[in-house]
Amino acid sequence: MIAAIDLKKYFGPVAAVNGVTFTAKDGQVTGLLGPNGAGKTTTLRMLYGVMRPDDGTIEVDHIDATKHPRDAQARLGVLPDLAGLYPRLTAREQVRYYGELHGLEGEALEERTDELLKTLDLSHLANRRSAGYSHGERTKVAIARALVHEPQNVILDEPTNGLDVMSTRAVRAIIKRLKAEGRCVLFSSHVMQEVSALCDSIVVIAGGKVVAHGTPDELRAKAGYDSLEDAFVALAGSGEPR
Amino acid sequence: MKSPQPLPRWVRQTKVVLFKELVDSFRDKRALSSILLSIMVGPLITAFMMNRIADRQKEADDVRVPIVGARNAPALVQWLSQQSGVVVTPPPADPEQAVREQSEYVVLVVPQDYADDFRASRPAGIKVIADSARADARAQVERVQRLLAQYNAEIGALRLIGRGVSPAAATPIKVESVEVSTTQQRAAKLLSVIPLMVLLAAFTGAMQLATDATAGERERGSLEALLVNPVPRGALALGKVIAAALSAMLAVMVTAVLCTALLRFIPLQELGMRFRFGAPHMLGLMAAALPMCLLTAAVQSCVATLAKSFKEAQTYMGILILAPMLVGVMGTLYPIDHQPWMYGVPLLGQYVLVTSVLGGYAPGPIAFGAAALACVASAALLLRATVALLNDERIVFGR
Repeated sequence: MIAAIDLKKYFGPVAAVNGVTFTAKDGQVTGLLGPNGAGKTTTLRMLYGVMRPDDGTIEVDHIDATKHPRDAQARLGVLPDLAGLYPRLTAREQVRYYGELHGLEGEALEERTDELLKTLDLSHLANRRSAGYSHGERTKVAIARALVHEPQNVILDEPTNGLDVMSTRAVRAIIKRLKAEGRCVLFSSHVMQEVSALCDSIVVIAGGKVVAHGTPDELRAKAGYDSLEDAFVALAGSGEPR
Repeated sequence: MKSPQPLPRWVRQTKVVLFKELVDSFRDKRALSSILLSIMVGPLITAFMMNRIADRQKEADDVRVPIVGARNAPALVQWLSQQSGVVVTPPPADPEQAVREQSEYVVLVVPQDYADDFRASRPAGIKVIADSARADARAQVERVQRLLAQYNAEIGALRLIGRGVSPAAATPIKVESVEVSTTQQRAAKLLSVIPLMVLLAAFTGAMQLATDATAGERERGSLEALLVNPVPRGALALGKVIAAALSAMLAVMVTAVLCTALLRFIPLQELGMRFRFGAPHMLGLMAAALPMCLLTAAVQSCVATLAKSFKEAQTYMGILILAPMLVGVMGTLYPIDHQPWMYGVPLLGQYVLVTSVLGGYAPGPIAFGAAALACVASAALLLRATVALLNDERIVFGR
């Protein structure tokens, strides 16, 4: 479970995130929806502990992440905004590196790595250096290394951004599997169909604030539109006046 | 390997980072070969030049002396040809032209009236035709002039004895040079480029890894993902700095081994030098130079973390490497009299220590300890600065 309580973050005089509150529950997929520059990435960066909020609290499985960032990070698996790989390491080595940083070792780590590479259909890349991977392959390896320690909570920042259809489907399948395993999945996106197809709960943010929070149906009802896309445009406040 | 007490978590994480960085950078064949090239060029050029100097020295003892008008001074010619390594040859058609064209190093011209003047005990003229602009002929010309001066003194002494005067009366003062430096020290002075090359190796060896693991990590976009792991920034920075330091240590060892191996091929005896370099010397050199690698790795990592891009980091590396060069140039221009305070100054301390070790003089454990401590302490400060930078969101996410 991930809870953001009144998060605020300023870049100089600009409030990038200005009082964001929501909860992402276990066994659910929560979508963070918003236009570019709405504060999605900044919010997620605070949640996964690489940015300090100027105000507010973060709880990961009831651990105060602002006070115990390492304990919170140990319970998170993250595909961050910048998820670069090491070009001279193989897929197996990238996954193993993160596993070792989480304190895994030996046989257990090797087994877990093999299993992940197999489920994500990456076995053919296991011993190939990442320099020549396609964008989809890079994303999948980055997801694999984020999941190596079997985290209860998974945060994915625009995981399908720039992927082809096949890779997008693969990523959606991963998200569904994580949900079925009872994990808490929080991901950001600006793709409507994706959010409506996957999410149990949607948080719409615009201008650094949560403008709506609910199931896809609730959001449609709240905005008075049948299409989620129209609802989103209305809620985010960047569309035509009604 | 089972240790009874498990290491603290951050120590294990530091080790994980360290091994990953080493594996990663040693796979970078292009960077590896450029490091190897840059640390090998210096020793090879020095060895080549020392060899040339030794050859030149040897050639100078064998001198060819063409003499114009040799029959005017048969006694001198005979005396000259009796000196070891001297070959008297027939003169070229145009002596001055021959010297100018560099077909002869030196030509002696004995004029017609030499015999008359000599017999009458008047100073008899001899011309030495030489080109002082030719550096490579200097040794030969000096040898010929020394021989003539020697002949002068011998004949002069004989004449004085013939007139019942002691030759000592014609020598009012006797100049004696007392050489205080040992042969070892003189050799070390000539070989003073070696300490500089050791210092440079400590920089070039760490450079690639230090920039790739910091500025490179950020430019590839892998830094944010790395920081998501529950690892203290101190463990990340320490692992990276130690990896860079090990790479620098390897470069220093390769340089030291290369220099000593090349020295065996240089005929140092011909330069009037004795140079011994055994296991104790190598041990002293390592004790002096290796702690410095921690410092070079730490300073390069810190500066590269501060840089906005990989390119900018490389520019800073080029500036940083001026520091050891400055120390080396100062050490050569202003012969350092070893003051105790110097051991406390990083780089200078190492330079002085390595020079001493090569000179066959061991400064004692306190000097080694002080120099090492200065390096480790400043490396620790730089490490703290790097951790502070990694905690700064403006650095991590660019400005």
